[in-house]
Amino acid sequence: MAKRSVWSDNRFWQRSAAWITGFASVLLIWLTFDTMAQITIGTDEDLKNGVTKRVPSPTVINYKITYEMSTKRGHEVPIIGGNDGQGMSLFQEKEMFFGRDDWSEEEATELLHLGKLGSQVKNCMNCHTLLGNGAYYAPDLTKAWLDPQWGPNGSMQAMTGKNTKEEAMAEFLQNPSKYPTHARMMPNLGITAEEAKGLVAFLKHMSSIDTNGFPRNFGKIEGAVHGK
Amino acid sequence: MANNHLTGIGSESKQLATWYFTFAAILFGAQLLFGLVAAIQYVMPGFMFEVLDFSVARMLHINALVVWMVFAMFGAVYWLLPDETGIETVGIKIGKLLFWVFAAAIVVVVLVYLFIQVGPADEMSIWFIHEGREYIEAPRWADFGIVVVALGFVANLFLTGMKGKQTGIVTVLMADMIAFAGLYLCGMFFTDNISVDQYWWWWVIHLWVEATWEVYVGALAAYGLITMLGAHRKVVEMWLWIEVTMLFGSGILGMGHHYFWIGTPEYWWEIGALFSALEPLPLVAMFIHVLYDWGKTQGEQDAQGQELSVIRNKPAFTWFVLNAFGNFLGAGIWGFFHTLPQVNLYTHGTQFTSAHGHLAFFGAYATILIGMMYIAIQGTNGIKIMNHTRSSIWSVSLLSGGMMGMTVALTIAGYVQVLVSRAQMGATWAGYFDGQSGMWFAQAMDWRLIMGLVMFAGFALLAKDFLTTGKNPVHQR
Amino acid sequence: MIDPSVIRPEIALDAFLPIFVSSALVLVFGGFYVGIYTAVKVNILKKWAMPFAYLFWILTAYCLYTMGSLMHVGDFTAKALVIAAIGLLLLPHAVYYMQDRVHKENEH
Ligand code: HEM
Ligand code: HEM
Ligand SMILES: [Fe+2]
Repeated sequence: MAKRSVWSDNRFWQRSAAWITGFASVLLIWLTFDTMAQITIGTDEDLKNGVTKRVPSPTVINYKITYEMSTKRGHEVPIIGGNDGQGMSLFQEKEMFFGRDDWSEEEATELLHLGKLGSQVKNCMNCHTLLGNGAYYAPDLTKAWLDPQWGPNGSMQAMTGKNTKEEAMAEFLQNPSKYPTHARMMPNLGITAEEAKGLVAFLKHMSSIDTNGFPRNFGKIEGAVHGK
Repeated sequence: MANNHLTGIGSESKQLATWYFTFAAILFGAQLLFGLVAAIQYVMPGFMFEVLDFSVARMLHINALVVWMVFAMFGAVYWLLPDETGIETVGIKIGKLLFWVFAAAIVVVVLVYLFIQVGPADEMSIWFIHEGREYIEAPRWADFGIVVVALGFVANLFLTGMKGKQTGIVTVLMADMIAFAGLYLCGMFFTDNISVDQYWWWWVIHLWVEATWEVYVGALAAYGLITMLGAHRKVVEMWLWIEVTMLFGSGILGMGHHYFWIGTPEYWWEIGALFSALEPLPLVAMFIHVLYDWGKTQGEQDAQGQELSVIRNKPAFTWFVLNAFGNFLGAGIWGFFHTLPQVNLYTHGTQFTSAHGHLAFFGAYATILIGMMYIAIQGTNGIKIMNHTRSSIWSVSLLSGGMMGMTVALTIAGYVQVLVSRAQMGATWAGYFDGQSGMWFAQAMDWRLIMGLVMFAGFALLAKDFLTTGKNPVHQR
Repeated sequence: MIDPSVIRPEIALDAFLPIFVSSALVLVFGGFYVGIYTAVKVNILKKWAMPFAYLFWILTAYCLYTMGSLMHVGDFTAKALVIAAIGLLLLPHAVYYMQDRVHKENEH
């Protein structure tokens, strides 16, 4: 009989399993604390003081949001209230949201809450992707707010007969099968006017989240960085 | 060692296992049906529009998937527990009661999904209709029910393991099942912050399928090798510990591959890439493990001059080997394909993800759980050597062939989507639909539907085989 | 702020397919290497198959190299890839040695 070596000793492997699992778990928990601190929702103060947050305050709906190249980071980032020229937000330029640009923190939070609830209850994620996760039957909604389709040159405002992005979106959400763009249509989900407002706020807020440059080349059909 | 593991007769635990397996098999059929509805909608968008919309069909498809697998997993534990511990499962009466509670809850949830579908945007809908979060849509009342049932199951397992013989397999299962149940809690709360929401959502999804469920499969494969091949327990259990080390060592931090783009910091790029790139390694190891034990035991048998095959349950063993291979292929290869951030930036949330999701769930879990069902059929019918029947061969071929075909179709579709919708058009609404209307994409969707029908035929034969094979005279009793 | 030298998820689009394929082949060939090696050792395959196992290892290493250079990996990653390739070469030997030992210890 050969001499017993550690490598063929069950107890050795049992202990390795316990130690490695423990170590990986502790590291994960530690990283979770760090990540949570970085992705907690920001405050209105932050926006006013020009503090960039990965997930800004719901009052970001009062600002103009764009998605622009940051040379420093090498990819697009959400720009809130104007660009300082180097890919950092200025938090200056406002934008009307349903006729107002002075939504208070409380009001905006309530709107976002309604919108987030709506996104779950209406099951958006089982057709669309949000932040790239969900189903693949319909377009990604991560930056839907910034989609040229809804902008002044896109087709949706004319089709819904509205002249702002938020109203066009809200109208579409209430009667999606009335404004089809393709044979594959969004069904009527019984979304009320109030819920639609919340959902649009939710989408606008989501477009301001720093997603490390996902999706790449958004909306730059011709000027794609690597496009030929 | 008498072949007591081959007989389920007289064990209440094994009887409960067969209930779980039966319900699981029915749900598997339902899963495929709703998948077919969703697949038809890709090809004919008007199909059942505003009656049973894609979102509802898909929710039922993936929820049925998760639930049938959980049922079969519980069932498999109740099946192997008496063999491993040498005693009847402790608290089996409560176990049986919980089965009915669980099954009834699932039926209610499905009926609500089907007939209520959506509600107003308030907390009540989250409590009583569904939570709208992929895979774990179950409404909150059901969440609590699931927790109670899972706790009952874990209690049965622990009490039995502590009272009877606590083998390595049972020890691994005890640790693993408590983590499996505990992780579910991470998916039960509501938050307005979508980044935080998805952060914790992945704790359930990823740490289930790429950590706890994989370890569970390792334990099940170990049990299967011992019962079907008579492999050495010492060797098998040592493998199991090595697999646990590798699986948890890579899988836990491999979760970083879901944190590239959801608002979480950049360091997850490196962590996710490094650890998830290691994730295929244990899957390779599990594959060698099966090959090794098979070769060794067959070799010993041959050396003794016996002509017999060492395999005591052919259909189950076929599914177990497919599991070892499918796990490596679907999770390992198709997973590795898109796990580096450079690639994932473009493939994230495309049909490519779907290709991987299908092959991985099928290869890693459906296969081995179907294999366990065959082991149970062998046991309950007192069969010594279980052979293939014509329908067992056809069903395994159609199911896995169909799944492979579907995966190839989805991979092609994903590739079109990556190039057209993502790389060129930057993931806009218009870009999305340009990709969807490409000829290659559209044809891939046709093929996916055809392959889905092939799979459904395979399922029908599987069901037939389950119902009839027990009495078939081809087996050696 | 993040150091600009950290990896950036940026690959040339025309390199997408080759990266995709080479990274998949790493696993396919790697799997063949490990599979054939094990199968020969446990006598499922005949001895003459062994050189093919090593051939597959060479192919694996080559694909790993191709993938690394297409992705323009940094120095650190390049070293890690080399170590990974050598690790893969040794892995089945170590595993087999260990298994054999356990078998011998427990047999008959
Ligand atoms: C008849 C066979 C099947 C058909 C026709 C089918 C069809 C579908 C469809 C249309 C979707 C929605 C994809 C999307 O959002 O675009 C889906 C999702 C999914 N199916 Fe299936 N499916 C079938 C079998 C299976 C099997 C056997 C499994 C696993 C064992 C499975 C697991 C999944 C998973 C995990 C998803 C979610 C994928 C993701 O989000 O990436 N399906 N299936
Ligand atoms: C049996 C094990 C596995 C199963 C059942 C599985 C299943 C899945 C499913 C269903 C998804 C889609 C989730 C969604 O709907 O959004 C997914 C995503 C993903 N999986 Fe796996 N997986 C497994 C193992 C692996 C492994 C080993 C790797 C890496 C080597 C991997 C890499 C990934 C990646 C990178 C994604 C994200 C895709 C995206 O960005 O859209 N998976 N997996
Ligand atoms: Fe994962």
